[in-house]
Amino acid sequence: MKKSKMTAAAKNEAIWAWAFILPTMLGLIILNFYPVFNTIYQSFCKTGDFGKGNTFVGVANYQKAFATPETLQALWNTVKYALIEVPFGVIIALVLAVFLNKKLKGTSAYRTIFFLPMVCAPAAVAMVWKWLYNQQFGLFNNVFHTNIGWTSDPKIAWISVGIIGVWSIIGYNMVLFISGLQEIPFDYYEAAMIDGATGIRQFFHITVPLLSPTTFFIVQTRVIGALTVFDLMFMVIDKTSGALPNVQSIVYVFYKYAFDQGNKGYGAAIVMILVVFIMIVTVIMQRAEKKLVFYN
Amino acid sequence: MKQKKLIALLLALVMLLSLAACGGGSSSSGSGDAAPAGDTASTDAAAPADAAPADTASAGGALTINIWDANQQAGIQEICDDWTAESGIPVKVEVIDWDNYWTLLESGASGGTLPDVFWMHSDYAQIYMENDILLDLTQYIANDGVDMGIYYPDIAAIYTRSDGNIYALPKDHDTIALLYNKALFDEAGVAYPTDDWTYEDMYEAAKAITEATPDGTYGYALNTSNDQDGWYNYIYSYGGNVVNKEKTDTAIDGPEAKAAMEMVRKMLTCAVPQSVVAESGTDSLFQSGKVAMITQGSWMINNFYTAENSADYAWAMIPYADVNGDGQCQPEERSTQYNGLGWAAAANTSNPDGAWSLIKYLCSEEAQKKQAALGVTMAGIPGISEEFANAFAGMDVSAFIKVETEGTLEARPGTRNSGVWQTPMKSTEGFQPAFADPSNPELMSTACDNVAAMIRNAIAEGN
Repeated sequence: MKKSKMTAAAKNEAIWAWAFILPTMLGLIILNFYPVFNTIYQSFCKTGDFGKGNTFVGVANYQKAFATPETLQALWNTVKYALIEVPFGVIIALVLAVFLNKKLKGTSAYRTIFFLPMVCAPAAVAMVWKWLYNQQFGLFNNVFHTNIGWTSDPKIAWISVGIIGVWSIIGYNMVLFISGLQEIPFDYYEAAMIDGATGIRQFFHITVPLLSPTTFFIVQTRVIGALTVFDLMFMVIDKTSGALPNVQSIVYVFYKYAFDQGNKGYGAAIVMILVVFIMIVTVIMQRAEKKLVFYN
Repeated sequence: MKQKKLIALLLALVMLLSLAACGGGSSSSGSGDAAPAGDTASTDAAAPADAAPADTASAGGALTINIWDANQQAGIQEICDDWTAESGIPVKVEVIDWDNYWTLLESGASGGTLPDVFWMHSDYAQIYMENDILLDLTQYIANDGVDMGIYYPDIAAIYTRSDGNIYALPKDHDTIALLYNKALFDEAGVAYPTDDWTYEDMYEAAKAITEATPDGTYGYALNTSNDQDGWYNYIYSYGGNVVNKEKTDTAIDGPEAKAAMEMVRKMLTCAVPQSVVAESGTDSLFQSGKVAMITQGSWMINNFYTAENSADYAWAMIPYADVNGDGQCQPEERSTQYNGLGWAAAANTSNPDGAWSLIKYLCSEEAQKKQAALGVTMAGIPGISEEFANAFAGMDVSAFIKVETEGTLEARPGTRNSGVWQTPMKSTEGFQPAFADPSNPELMSTACDNVAAMIRNAIAEGN
């Protein structure tokens, strides 16, 4: 058992290192790791009232979850939401960031305006949009003189919810893009300009490749964020709405069972399915990173 | 250098301590929910006995009350202030909306902190009583000689466990009536509702109004979520039930209930489309003059009394179903849902004696008379709610009280954990498709069968 013996100084340093990470460690263990393992355990249980008196039932919850069409439909709804929120949220934010990175008058005012949705509580944002979308009294139908069930027509409700998601996230993505843009040396643009490249060519051949690490970071975090979406559906779509089955996200289904109906075990199983799904998506994205992302 | 290290160490210590304090706070209250539950069970037999019963509420600080109805907050605070004047214990009434109320209460019961005194509801009472979340009031009631016989028996029964222990005192009771907008009746030239209306009469009027008024204005509105204040009343008036008295089965797929739901379907053919109701809610549609009639519960009166156009609003008794066709209303043909909340305390409250004293006061005849007179709600004790009819100057709400003698009160149906079937019942798995397409009678009949299966499943699984 004679591993490399620590010198007194190294030992001292190690103790200090532990002392400094201990608070974070404790926080993680109490607030993150313990609940994670508890959730995994509960997903194999039929939980009693108030989460007490668990009885082990094996994979019964998972069997039920996969046998119910609702689960896969909700997973698909979540993916549909991500397919709206992530691409549009990234592209619009990128274009805005490029414009707001120029030396123009009032850029900081515009930046503030675009960032504002990020400062509002998501529930409040959803509440405002809910009334904008309202079929009878909503602003959209009254301004455009239409009679569209923005949030009650199952065919378009998921798009309406996606639009709220895009609107809420543009400002945040934009700020990240601006900081990424500012790290691109101006020399490249100068050289391109001397060679006679247009603004659009510069954008696609300099900005986009050099910004790809930032883009990748945003895409990855937003995909995870979009797959765990809950508040928009919860606030905007009523429980008695016919559009709910086509809009409810997987976390919404989790909430419905775990909290509305007090079935914690089944809820835990639903959430574990989501966790595994997110893991798979993340692995695929990490693979893609090596091919698509350009590091200096 | 040494000094720097010392400061760093101190900082780390402070962080650790603050963390431990947070953790400690929640864990002690977490484990605490088991201990006092056991404690009170064993000591509350002794405690009120050897403490002077007249002045039990001397110990402990302020009490927190949680309720879910903002309409009642001011009145309840006023009644609590009367109690504070006697006991010297301040009471704070906090409002949390219905959905979040039960989420918060459940997390409190699963290992957090609960409010001292709070409302209990028939949908949840049984599960809370069985798990000893609520303070057992049985011994207090015996010691203070509170007569449980004065309350509505159905409501007292909701808060009595199968072993006879009592966990809440009845706070109030509510009934349902028909609310109509006189302006829209005038516009369509239709006679106002009367207390002799059948559901057929209501249909004829709703149809006439829908046809006579411009597009977007309707005679009637009902959503799947309007159960207690809506279609449950049809089912019981036609002789059906949603859950039987013994809570062992449902007759919602029986011929009586199906006849009732067929009547509902007929009403819906001239009512606001379900997609609109789901988005805006029947109350908002009524208040914006888009709907001439809805049925609503007595707990909502204040909402309409204080509305902008309240002068146009009036109440009539809920219609009846002339099942035997004799042209007259037998009491069993006019059914109103009724329910009553209970005042309960947390088993782990730091001041059980104070909480009991407050509950006892809130459920005394004196306080409940005041509750009715203030227009908060009708009392949990029969025969003392006349004042309630006078609480809304300029608005006649006697329909809610008259129905008690001229109709039948049916307790709101529920099972042990009603949420398991009630949520899907109102959604696309239950009645939603039938409400969304009332032109198709098949859908309504199928929905009755589906919901019956849900309820039977829930009962079979012990929910």
